Amino acid sequence: MSLAATYKLGARLFWRDKAMLAGSVITPVGLTVGMPLLMRHVQADGVAWATQTFYGSTALVLSITGFMNIAVALSMRRDQLVLKRLRSTMLTDGQILAGEIASTVTQTVALVVGCLVAVRFVADVPFPDNPVVFVAATLGGAVCVAVLGAAYTAAIPRAELAAAMTVPVFLVCGVGAGAMGPLLDLLPSWVRSVFDLLPTSAAVHAMKTGEFAAPALNLALWTLAGLVAIRLWFRWEPRRS
Amino acid sequence: MTAIQVSGLVKRYGAFEAVKGVSFEVAEGEIFALLGRNGAGKTTTVEVLAGFQRPDEGTVRVLGLDPAGQRGEARRRTGVMLQEAGFFPDLTVARTVDTWRDFTAAARPRDEALRLAGLAHKAGTKVRQLSGGEKRRLDLALATLGRPEVLFLDEPTTGMDPEARRDTWELVRGLAADGATVLLTTHYLEEAQRLASSLAILDGGAIVAAGGMAETLAAQSGRVAFRMPPGVAPDELPLPVTLEGELAVCRAEDPDLAAQTLLSWAAGRGLRLTGLDVRAATLEDLFLDRSTS
Repeated sequence: MSLAATYKLGARLFWRDKAMLAGSVITPVGLTVGMPLLMRHVQADGVAWATQTFYGSTALVLSITGFMNIAVALSMRRDQLVLKRLRSTMLTDGQILAGEIASTVTQTVALVVGCLVAVRFVADVPFPDNPVVFVAATLGGAVCVAVLGAAYTAAIPRAELAAAMTVPVFLVCGVGAGAMGPLLDLLPSWVRSVFDLLPTSAAVHAMKTGEFAAPALNLALWTLAGLVAIRLWFRWEPRRS
Repeated sequence: MTAIQVSGLVKRYGAFEAVKGVSFEVAEGEIFALLGRNGAGKTTTVEVLAGFQRPDEGTVRVLGLDPAGQRGEARRRTGVMLQEAGFFPDLTVARTVDTWRDFTAAARPRDEALRLAGLAHKAGTKVRQLSGGEKRRLDLALATLGRPEVLFLDEPTTGMDPEARRDTWELVRGLAADGATVLLTTHYLEEAQRLASSLAILDGGAIVAAGGMAETLAAQSGRVAFRMPPGVAPDELPLPVTLEGELAVCRAEDPDLAAQTLLSWAAGRGLRLTGLDVRAATLEDLFLDRSTS
């Protein structure tokens, strides 16, 4: 009952926060639909380019709607002492965070699937060959980035810095997954190898190719690292000094 | 039966010892006031009792439970009104209560909770539009939502207007009359004196006075004050006094008897003691006497 309640609360707050919606929904959706649409019409081999750009751009939805959204929301609630108030209820710490993560995952998966349908119609991007793996990779990627976003709040000293401190993360994730077009190809090979280890790159690889085993292992390891970091360093209240 | 038991509680923040071996007990159904200046250790003690922090030394038990180690069970039976805690600013008052009802077992109906806290007329108002006092009332509504057996109130009426403060006192008395144990901290000593049946005064992290309200005050000196008659030196008076500006102040265990002695002395010399003020010890006297840091 309590997990459902925190999930419901997280979803309600997500859609009520108009300022955050611009950053968490409109920007990533605009990029994930807009970039393939652009590629479809400016490149000779438009559908192939649009398809490649769409899959790369899903890393933006994962890193913005999944990672940035939860990092900003939890940092704000921590600094406003809302998390402290939630802890004064019967909810366990796990239920508070799990509800927030589950809510973020739902919005993220919904946006990725929504973008997939949109680009099918506006940019002729074909549906994935293996839709089950696509959904599973989206779900696994969303869980992973949401857990990492929650863990990342420990590094954010004040809520005002949360959005700025997540920008490098989504830029790296976007470039690493190929969302910035040919930019990835211009980077040294060792950088590309490092980028391949990112959870967003693993999720995008699974969505694109239908391969699941190696990406699943990658996502599981990152998720585990995030959970350990939460256990060790997550702060429920702002620093006093 | 003891509802709250604190034994040798020590809490440190780095090298700073905020609470230094505090011990006290609160009986079931009692209203207990924990008093002290800012930084005396009140909020730290409440936060340990509410399970937000673990003691560095000593033990605390609330309804026989370790509030940090058995937080879930303790939360089910306690309510907490924190000195500082935020709300979701974009939710209305009614929606906030509804949300908290989802987190609370056997919660009061929303309308009852709002009526108790005097917020029924604000049900549709967003939390960000409430005044400071109204937010405290909402805080109180949330703390009492689950009909707690033990209620922790950390400065519950700060920011409230006098009417709201009296309504809160009535609510707290009503909860205690129904069997709830209440531990409150406050800077309003009149509030503590009116509400609490026992108290502890913290100073510099240690208890400097504790006991039943009536007995503790009875053991404290009362006060007789008057304007010094012209041409009279303090050492001519029959009782020792201290001068506070124009006023001579005599402290005595029995202020009525002291007043009679002074009046008889003045009558014998054809003097009048103007501005005479005789009163028993108040909590403020006790507080100022014991809390010296």
